[in-house]
Amino acid sequence: MVRSKGLGVAVASVLIGGGVLALAGFALASATPHQTALQCVESTTKAHTCSLTLATYPDSLEGVHGSSGGPHPDWVTYSNDNIDVPANTTVDVTINQYDTGGEPNNPAFLDVIGTNGGFDTVNGVKTTHVTGQIGHTWTLHAIPGNGKYLWISIPLPADNASKMPVKLGIGAYPKPEVVKFSFTTGGAAVYEWNCEFPCGGSRLGNGFGEAMSSFGYMSGTLTVQ
Amino acid sequence: MATSSKSSLRLFFWTWGILTVVFVLIGIFIPHRYMPGVMSNDANLALTTTILFTICAAPVAAGVYAGAIHILKHHRYRGDDVPPAAPPIRENTKLLVTWLTASTVLTVFVLVWGLGALAAENSTSGNPLVVDVTGQQWVWTFSYPGTQVVSNELYVPDNREVEFRVTSEDVTHGFWVVNFGVQVDANPGVWTTIHTTPDKLGTIEIRCEQFCGLNHAFMDAIGHVVTPKQFSAWLASQPARV
Amino acid sequence: MTTTLEKTETMSKPQGGGLARRQNFATAIILGVILAWVFWFVARHLFWQGSDNFSDQEAVMTGAGWMIGFWIGIGAFNAPFQWLVGRDNSHDDNMYYAGKDLGRARYWKYTTDHKVVGVQYIIVTMSLLAVGGILAMAMRTELITPGTHFVNQQVYNGFIAIHGMVMILALIVAISGPWANFVMPIMIGARDMAFPRLNALSLWTLVSAAALLVTVLAVGGMPVGWVVLGTIGDQAGVGMDFFALAIVTFTVSTTVASINNVTTILTMRTKGMTLDRLPIFVWGTLFTSALALYAFPFFFIAELNQILDRTASTSFYIAAGGGTSWLQANLFWLMGHPEVYVILIPSVAALFEISTVMARKPLFSYRTAIGGMAALTGLSALVWAHHMFTSGWAPTLGGPFMVTTELISIPTGIFFLVLVGTLWRGNVWMKSPTLWMFGFIFNFIIGGVTGIYLSDVPLDEQLHGTMFVTAHFHYIFVGSVLFGAISALAYWFPKVTGRFLDETLNRYAFWLVFIGVQITFGAMFLSGLKGMPRRDASYSFAFEHTNFISTIGAYIIMTGMLTLLGAIIHSWRKGEASGPNPWHANTLEWQVPTPVPLENFDVDPIITEDPYHFDNEEPVHV
Repeated sequence: MVRSKGLGVAVASVLIGGGVLALAGFALASATPHQTALQCVESTTKAHTCSLTLATYPDSLEGVHGSSGGPHPDWVTYSNDNIDVPANTTVDVTINQYDTGGEPNNPAFLDVIGTNGGFDTVNGVKTTHVTGQIGHTWTLHAIPGNGKYLWISIPLPADNASKMPVKLGIGAYPKPEVVKFSFTTGGAAVYEWNCEFPCGGSRLGNGFGEAMSSFGYMSGTLTVQ
Repeated sequence: MATSSKSSLRLFFWTWGILTVVFVLIGIFIPHRYMPGVMSNDANLALTTTILFTICAAPVAAGVYAGAIHILKHHRYRGDDVPPAAPPIRENTKLLVTWLTASTVLTVFVLVWGLGALAAENSTSGNPLVVDVTGQQWVWTFSYPGTQVVSNELYVPDNREVEFRVTSEDVTHGFWVVNFGVQVDANPGVWTTIHTTPDKLGTIEIRCEQFCGLNHAFMDAIGHVVTPKQFSAWLASQPARV
Repeated sequence: MTTTLEKTETMSKPQGGGLARRQNFATAIILGVILAWVFWFVARHLFWQGSDNFSDQEAVMTGAGWMIGFWIGIGAFNAPFQWLVGRDNSHDDNMYYAGKDLGRARYWKYTTDHKVVGVQYIIVTMSLLAVGGILAMAMRTELITPGTHFVNQQVYNGFIAIHGMVMILALIVAISGPWANFVMPIMIGARDMAFPRLNALSLWTLVSAAALLVTVLAVGGMPVGWVVLGTIGDQAGVGMDFFALAIVTFTVSTTVASINNVTTILTMRTKGMTLDRLPIFVWGTLFTSALALYAFPFFFIAELNQILDRTASTSFYIAAGGGTSWLQANLFWLMGHPEVYVILIPSVAALFEISTVMARKPLFSYRTAIGGMAALTGLSALVWAHHMFTSGWAPTLGGPFMVTTELISIPTGIFFLVLVGTLWRGNVWMKSPTLWMFGFIFNFIIGGVTGIYLSDVPLDEQLHGTMFVTAHFHYIFVGSVLFGAISALAYWFPKVTGRFLDETLNRYAFWLVFIGVQITFGAMFLSGLKGMPRRDASYSFAFEHTNFISTIGAYIIMTGMLTLLGAIIHSWRKGEASGPNPWHANTLEWQVPTPVPLENFDVDPIITEDPYHFDNEEPVHV
């Protein structure tokens, strides 16, 4: 091996460069907002079953953003965005919908798709299709081939605007629309879910901007372990 | 050493030949091994074109590489000091004309093939099955005009031309049916179209290939190519959505 | 002799004299930050905070404040202002601004000497490559296996455009910046460029624009590619405003530099330097600059429209308001395609120049080389919509654009003929510039051929938007342009520093980067063939092996580039002394001493022949 007087500098350069990279990586990872995942609660009565409770809020003063509302207290949000569920389990989901809504842009999202039985219950009533206004959806999708293929969409009916108090804040939400459904997981996999109703802000985003296109509000990850 | 003796030139031509064969073999085997399952005439065309272009490029790449190898072997100055001047060859008209002619012929061939393939792709049977595709962040939904079916999985019948009319609800997405070898962008406010004819039964994958924000990487959908009978049955079984 | 210049206390803009002479990079940053704050403050009170556009208006004002403050702080407005008030610089002032007797301080100031600007460009290029490189490594590390790891998809998405834009900026200036500035004026026998102050302006504007780009990351990034499609550009957060402003600023830099290059080459050649005795590198710079002058204004408009959409409620790109994102795509690619040739041609021209010296023979077919570059320049303006084959914009134009695009392969092929033809039957001197040149030849074949695949419309409908495209252009940018840039650096390093760039370390760097490129981007071609879309934060298990291999390759490239960095740092001060003409070349820059005197030549040289006569033999026509 031919030696060079500068070999020391070169090796130092590689090591320091690697160090800078590691530092940058660490900084980026720290800047990434992390949320503790919501755990699915094992059922005490039924085998291979667990239950989850989620909620959708008209602002960020509840849920994962803390009582201060995080950087965008006026953005709509889900209560939790990262969810962990066990493998090969039936997941019973309850979503409490506290927000108003409107007519959806795409009628496909008025349907209940992909749940066990193909239906959900809204305030106790069995439903396969919502007419009228929805506030949000819970739409789960996957990369085909990365575990059991799941495609689930739940329309969440809108709270009547007349039920909403003028001033919003903690404890000031109206009675929610309660939606319940079940689905069954396969082996270990990662799924993404997001809302498909344009409830975000921004004139330019057609309602798909801001909360709808930022991590931690209207989209999240469901991890099957 | 500055001259190229006969034996070294012979070596050059042999290297050129061997490398050409190697590249042709790569062209024949790699696309088959790696490209996704072909399930339509357009996907077939994409695969064939990949193979053909690799074969066409093989002698060109091999020639340049053989030239470089020849130079490294025979024209490398191995002394310690400054190399002496080499023969000041400024022009070789014969070589230039040959090169320009050959590259033009190859380009025209590739062009004619491409234009022919494009024309074949653009030809339509006149009676396609129309499927409306809507992309919105970050899922695809499919609806079938003339029926009231809206689905999150794409069903198409075998051996019948299908025309996709694609639009978006928000930003630009890229509607790509991987196994059909066709894609077109989904833009808000306009409809774009692409058509193809599926020719094999099975499952197909749809991916978004235009960066569309947060969950672009997860904007996949699946579909099925089924027999016409199964297709009608599926359409009938779907609840009518408004 | 400086008596005519006095300080003024009333205005913040300095003119002549002590205040102006104290301006440097630090004052530029300080004034940039101050004015950014002032404009931000004004924006808060001028614009209605409840409007949808408010955060964008605020961001654009802040960014504009930075730009203007930086320009004031570095002294860009000094000369025009002085001219306005009738107090032109004296000869001594001009010598001061050219860096006479300033030592190393002149590299931190608005120095007009083209050699100083050239060295500043080297540093700026390396810094941009470093930032882009860190982002590349972050991306590749995240992609080592499917799923999200150390960042989530929102953060990852923000990397993509900044990595792309920073690297593009680095490559646009990688050869034109250092060498068209440092070497080209000497090569044509001139004492400086036609517009020395514009030269300094182009460099410092680039620095200011780069700062805006890095700010994008700090304000949350933007989930768009560097292609910034109008629709997602409109939806993105304030990062998009800083990006657009960075581009608007950057186009000022390239336009000014291009005007300078073209004027210098056309009007300042020394006596006897007729066009057919012009070194091929100067021809390359001429074509590049002409092309850049044509192309970058499109980018300016494209991004200005985006800013207006976001701040002034226009609807250039908003379908609901009557606009279309295709407008943005067309404007962008009208710039974007010529821009890749703005990046490529200097690399090719530098390698042409280097090949003659390293093979000790004239350029093979000089006129064909010029013709090839001219054809490439002209044709490149006619091919832009091949980036839009699958956009649905104009399906009938697929055929015509396929024709123009595939025709470009003919002049590109000529480059191989000239390069290999020059080396053929030469006495090839295997120093490190030559090594990188052979690397270029290997990689450019792969990059160029795969471009032809993408130019075929039916095949593009399968491969567009996949990692195949990414691998193709990385073979061109990293495998070809960067190799040419490093070859040029190794070649001209002795002229700048009087020392050789360490040969051994350069060889280690070469092999690491070369092998790394094959592994990273070779595997990436396979990812693309298999169907992996690009700009994906995560991917299907089907692509896991090829991605893993690509990430390993990326680490190998990183090691090689850091080794090169070590070589540069070591050799700048402690490299082996080279003397003024270590390569025994005939071009004018090697005929002047090292370090090059302030005004290059004591006596203007007179040229009687082209620089490719290595031994006064009679030329051989075969």
